[in-house]
Amino acid sequence: MKSSRFVAIATAAVLATTLAAKAEDIKIGLSGPYTGGSSSMGVSMRDGARLAVEEINAAGGVDGKKLVLIERDDEAKNELGVQIAQEMINKEGVVAQLGYINTGVALAAQRFFQDAKIPVITNVATGTAITQQFKAPDYDANFVFRISAPDSIQAKMITDEAVDKRGFKKVAILADSTNYGQLGRADLEAALKAKGITPVAVEKFNIKDVDMTAQLLKAKEAGAEAILTYGIGPELAQIANGMSKLGWKVPLIGSWTLSMASFIDNAGPNSEGARMPQTFIQSPSTDKRKAFIAAYQKKYNIDRMLSPVSAAQGYDSVFLLAAAIKQAGSTDGDKIRLALENLNEKLEGVVQLYDKPFSATDHEAVTSNIPVFGEVKGGRVVYAYDDDKTASSKLPSKLKQ
Amino acid sequence: MEIFLQLVVSGVALGMIYATIAFGYQLTFATSRTLNFGQGEALMLGAMVGLTLVLMGVPYLLMIPFVLLFGLAQGLVVERLAVRPAMRIKSEFGWIMATIALGIIFRNMAENIWGRDDLKFPSPVSEVPLQFGAVRVLPMEIFVVIGALAMMAAVEFFNRKSIYGKAVIATSNDRDAAGLMGINTNLMISLSYAMSSMTAAFAGILVAPVTLTGATMGSVLALKAFAVAIIGGLDSALGAIVGGLLLGVIETLTGFYIATGYKDVPGLVLLLIVLALKPAGLFGKTAIKKV
Repeated sequence: MKSSRFVAIATAAVLATTLAAKAEDIKIGLSGPYTGGSSSMGVSMRDGARLAVEEINAAGGVDGKKLVLIERDDEAKNELGVQIAQEMINKEGVVAQLGYINTGVALAAQRFFQDAKIPVITNVATGTAITQQFKAPDYDANFVFRISAPDSIQAKMITDEAVDKRGFKKVAILADSTNYGQLGRADLEAALKAKGITPVAVEKFNIKDVDMTAQLLKAKEAGAEAILTYGIGPELAQIANGMSKLGWKVPLIGSWTLSMASFIDNAGPNSEGARMPQTFIQSPSTDKRKAFIAAYQKKYNIDRMLSPVSAAQGYDSVFLLAAAIKQAGSTDGDKIRLALENLNEKLEGVVQLYDKPFSATDHEAVTSNIPVFGEVKGGRVVYAYDDDKTASSKLPSKLKQ
Repeated sequence: MEIFLQLVVSGVALGMIYATIAFGYQLTFATSRTLNFGQGEALMLGAMVGLTLVLMGVPYLLMIPFVLLFGLAQGLVVERLAVRPAMRIKSEFGWIMATIALGIIFRNMAENIWGRDDLKFPSPVSEVPLQFGAVRVLPMEIFVVIGALAMMAAVEFFNRKSIYGKAVIATSNDRDAAGLMGINTNLMISLSYAMSSMTAAFAGILVAPVTLTGATMGSVLALKAFAVAIIGGLDSALGAIVGGLLLGVIETLTGFYIATGYKDVPGLVLLLIVLALKPAGLFGKTAIKKV
């Protein structure tokens, strides 16, 4: 029951893509939430991917063929993700799928691509299970790849930062009641346990909760020296604002969602100092990053990227896929998968230098050395440590086992 | 003790938010025995229109009358489209689905106009908390409590003193008799819907600086407020206030003393107890329905 304006725009978009897509074009599926609570991540991812496609096509495309993105809004809804997956495979005939912001949507939808032998490069969703779903030996081939930082890595980084670097022995965990929050809470508790630490308080909150007094007072009374979070922007903002109301300020350290614009904007000055793992920071530390940020700002006419991590990973995912298609010399799904697993080209991205990012058994491109800590400063996410900032002129690369 | 007081104060602020929305349910129930299940959306639209005006540079206090007018108009639309057709054909339940459907339409419209991200509503008063002993309160929370009470007082004053208000009360006491006395009861029902949405729109701009502003901001609040309206009684303003405060305080106390995961449970248990022991609500008048 959308307004007629929406229908008009949708029709125009469908017409435009059908007209633009010629038989020899390479169709790539791209889906994520472009509306709703996680839309800042979805839209940034989409805009990054669009920019990459534009650049590749301007340079002659892949083997003379143009890339065309088939964009769909999954509204962060699992059932819509499933519908879109079927449409992409059966109606659009995409050669590969990029996207997924929400772990639930990814887990629900990627099964269809796996069955159709079409590779998926997940570029934002972080749930640890995503790349494990079709792992050998249960499956002959896994078609799901990922270039975002999995929760298991993030949880370890968060606890390292809180306990080892900053010496907080008493920490409280505040996580939302969704799959994302509760799986993340379990990862955090496991990472703390490995250090022999039990959190002094583990509290829960619901999406749309407007009052965090009880959760925060429990953490405060338990003597927490830092709060570790797993949630999304709006509720994280309520936590920061609630702390200011109680006149209690301890460091806020949490998953990468603390970089969401909806957290920073809604918490205002209370968001200052919050720290989170980031695979990309909006800072022109390499030539490639500088060019990417400048092109993005120019094309979308903005200064601050809504979600720099999503934009960068969306951008990189297109280049990785293009390199794999080129190496495969074909748009056959199985050949692209093999090319991704044995990528010869050393691809310079904006997140990392992709040097053999995947293998037959390992479909995670990000290892623990790649994310750095970001910190909210002046309404933006900047490098938390000067060392990381200095080191950022050299692109990291995946650790070899 | 300090913690207990802080929890109670936060609970009171939260409870007053519920109470203002619950009050809106009561206004329409009094005249027409129907409820607007799109109350949460009326609140959201009020907040969104208010935010748009504030961002255009209209000062907060000047913006209030515009939002009140908008609420009035929105209530008339709801009554005309969703309630009157159902009442005309004497449908017992048609208005339930119709008001819910209209609420969904309003929410989708808002999503298309203002997007789906939660936005920040600039606080009209300082955002530095005030300290009373060990208890800390945001100035906006005090503003919410005062604003809500003032609004309820104004509506009650209108009902008791003005000729229209008296006609509204007459309609709510006995619609058929009021009609025979020459009161245009349909007009009174329209008026009560207009006032109900007006209070919701006002509640929207009151709570928006404390909560966040977005197309879905009303959904959870309206559901809790509905529970408050049932607990307090659907025909008592005092019931809305007491019910709201009760639910707000119980929520924060449970969150602290039992577990944050269970904080919504006692409120619902209370709802069940009230329904079992005093179905008309704590302050409701027990009415015997003759058939």
